[in-house]
Amino acid sequence: MGCGVTKSNHLHKHTTSSGRAIRAAILIQRWYRQYVARTEMRRRYTWHIFQSIEYSGEQAQIKLYNFLGYLMDNFTPSSNERNLISHIFRENEVCRDAEWERYFCYKNIEVPEIYSGPHLTFPLTVEEAVGLVEAFRNKKQLHSRYVLQLLLETWKLLRMLPNINRISTCHSKEITICGDLHGQLEDLLLIFYKNGMPSLEKPYVFNGDFVDRGRDSIEILLILFAFLLVYPSDVYLNRGNHEDHIVNLRYGFTKEVLNKYKMHGKRILKLLQKIFSWLPLATVIDQKVLVLHGGISDSTDLGVLARVDRHIYISALRPPKKRHHSLAGISIDSDTDVDTAAISRVFQRRASFTYPKPLGTRDCFQNRSLQDFSDRIRVNMENQLELSRREEPILNAQINKPEQESLILSTDSVSSDTAVDEWKQILDLLWSDPMTQDGCIPNEVRGGGCYWGPDVTEDFLNRHNLQLIIRSHECKQEGYEFCHNRKVLTLFSASNYYDVGSNRGAYVKLGPDLVPYLIQYQASSMTRELTVRQSVGRTERSALRVLREQLFAHKSDLLCAFRKFDSENTGLVSLNDWASAVESVMHLDLPWRMLRSQLVTCKNSEGTIDYYGWFNELAITGSKTDHIDQSLLETLYRHRSTLETIFRIVDTDNSGFISMQDFRQTWKLLSVYLKMEITDEAISDLAITIDSNHDGSIDIDEFMEAFRLTDKKSRLERGRSMFMGTTSDLTKLEGDPNI
Amino acid sequence: MHSHTEFTPDQIEDFKEAFGLFDRVGDSQVAYNQVADIMRALGQNPTNKSVNKILGNPSADDLANKRLNFDAFLPMLKEVDAQPKGTYDDYVEGLRVFDKEGNGTVMGAELRIVLSTLGEKMNEQEIDALMAGQEDENGSVHYEAFVKHIMSV
Repeated sequence: MGCGVTKSNHLHKHTTSSGRAIRAAILIQRWYRQYVARTEMRRRYTWHIFQSIEYSGEQAQIKLYNFLGYLMDNFTPSSNERNLISHIFRENEVCRDAEWERYFCYKNIEVPEIYSGPHLTFPLTVEEAVGLVEAFRNKKQLHSRYVLQLLLETWKLLRMLPNINRISTCHSKEITICGDLHGQLEDLLLIFYKNGMPSLEKPYVFNGDFVDRGRDSIEILLILFAFLLVYPSDVYLNRGNHEDHIVNLRYGFTKEVLNKYKMHGKRILKLLQKIFSWLPLATVIDQKVLVLHGGISDSTDLGVLARVDRHIYISALRPPKKRHHSLAGISIDSDTDVDTAAISRVFQRRASFTYPKPLGTRDCFQNRSLQDFSDRIRVNMENQLELSRREEPILNAQINKPEQESLILSTDSVSSDTAVDEWKQILDLLWSDPMTQDGCIPNEVRGGGCYWGPDVTEDFLNRHNLQLIIRSHECKQEGYEFCHNRKVLTLFSASNYYDVGSNRGAYVKLGPDLVPYLIQYQASSMTRELTVRQSVGRTERSALRVLREQLFAHKSDLLCAFRKFDSENTGLVSLNDWASAVESVMHLDLPWRMLRSQLVTCKNSEGTIDYYGWFNELAITGSKTDHIDQSLLETLYRHRSTLETIFRIVDTDNSGFISMQDFRQTWKLLSVYLKMEITDEAISDLAITIDSNHDGSIDIDEFMEAFRLTDKKSRLERGRSMFMGTTSDLTKLEGDPNI
Repeated sequence: MHSHTEFTPDQIEDFKEAFGLFDRVGDSQVAYNQVADIMRALGQNPTNKSVNKILGNPSADDLANKRLNFDAFLPMLKEVDAQPKGTYDDYVEGLRVFDKEGNGTVMGAELRIVLSTLGEKMNEQEIDALMAGQEDENGSVHYEAFVKHIMSV
């Protein structure tokens, strides 16, 4: 076939080989699509690991707080345990305004000559606000005198604001809305770089969670407050669940302030407590778009929210105390009776028992070490639940587990149903997450707020004549995500939140047409150089490392679980049993079979796992700690965040040291909370490990370090320890076409 | 060639777990348009066409709205698993087609054109991601190394 002409020879060759070409193309395409699907799968479960651990940390925080509340309610006033922690519940102490002003007075704080940071004058000017941004970009720190001044001015302003900001996109102004920043200054600087700083032409709404986890929380606050002062009609701040001093104790903000401001940190924190409580709860744009931090529930009512005394909710985790006024006009706290019945009724009414969330039910409450400790209250709860069980048909029995009441536990001094309802409104607003199914159920994963469904969104929007809800609170890989038929937009502005390359950040621009226009970004030059595969791989390795640590920290429980499956004590369990046992202990709802090859590297024959061998793999060891009992060490490790939180609570003057006596008391507290025996001898052993100065006081940081309880690379529980990018990275941005 | 490998119970458990991860609704089912990706995540590499055939050539509407459970999925997975997957040699021979000079390289540019115009076409981003770091300074791809690379992931 074919003639001698070269061209047609070529053609001929082409036609018979075109079949091969197509086959070759298809082969490569098939391979590529497989690779993409597998990478996506890995990305998804890596994400799930981080998120599960993050949320269970939040849950642990709330449980701890409830536990402390229980102590407050049930120990006699003179008991040691109560005294140790009572100060964190003495929320509005004896002062009146004049006394507060004296306490926060900055006038006698001198700014030394050698101070090279920015100087501020009040009323603040635009130049000074912009100058502040520049100074922070150059790693300067604002002097405590100016910090206090700035915060005082902010406090004054916030007190005049309504609970719900109402703004409009008149004059063709586009409003820029940002989500969680979590102390990541680099992201804020990137947003300002791309979008411009706040000004009369450039209004901004910041949707909460400015602090915790990242290492520049105070700088972010100072920038936001500075612009608020300079452009009060063009900068709007919504409160987030992390604008809460109790949460800050655990997630790093308290520590950051005390480290940066060693002399005046405590006052700054106290003032911030007030400022947080005065932050507005939500913002409405053009009467059509609602912006708030967490979300809604089926009982959320903007009318109620507009009327509450928002500032009495210093922490959203606890209903406000009833206040009496003595003859001297000084308010004191009172502990009224626990009104558990009222609370439980509220929660029963609210929850509709629908299908559980996808990816399984989050039965995290079964974790023995964080279990509810209160038998007395459980009995009450069970009676209540029994009564309501008889009254209302329950569709999904698993919701009615007795552990549920830990959400309900923080119930003291609630004087009426209205007060409870108000508190619930705020809790829901700050802590809720959307879900795909209809209905509204308590958010057991976080421990506060609800999961709400598309039907609740629909109903809410109709009732209030709105068209869109913009919220934050959840990290999203692309920096944003629509759900509920695009009626709910989640917006997250902290890029690389879990690790370098884990996610982008985003902000939204809204013009008079109210159509959201989204801009994404990712801070740090490192991420631009990583390919998708490298980025996923890196985050995955990080997640797996964290997961291995968590597994090790639960060694005793896991051993117990494995032994149940291994009645003949062979040291081996099947894959299936391994996966079941691990999930029953960890409650992270992860695809354990899929992760197995990454978590268990010791050889296993015929689909079994040698679990003792596995624990040897996982072990965390350190020479300093060899004399400490292994199981105590494991407990320390597992509860390190809780432990540190308690230490910081006990350290009433925020000095970073606690006395030997308080140290012992703390352990007694912890042993009750964890329901485990910690002997005096064991406590002495612990103290000896750190005792370098023999002066009867324990340095908290040293303690945590000594037991390798701090992990500088683990971002999830303690915030970043490395600044992600450097100034030179930011200047590189100028010429970068990718921005 | 029809290989008659049965899945072991352990493998089936693995598949079940992965299947569950794709269920975004909570009804223990997945949408038709997710089936191809689940199979790929489980180590298969079917063409979209072959998956559609197994699904009964669903319409666009079906793909988006119809769902199936694991018991219906498993035999489909088996059927796909029986198809030849492509060995190292298959890939190398496939790429050799484009090796004009017979020197072990193909022109990156030509590969890009082929992948975007033939078979189940890839878009620009997909091709960029695939080819990232594979072309040398002359724009050539050393395909044996390339295949080793893609099979190692």
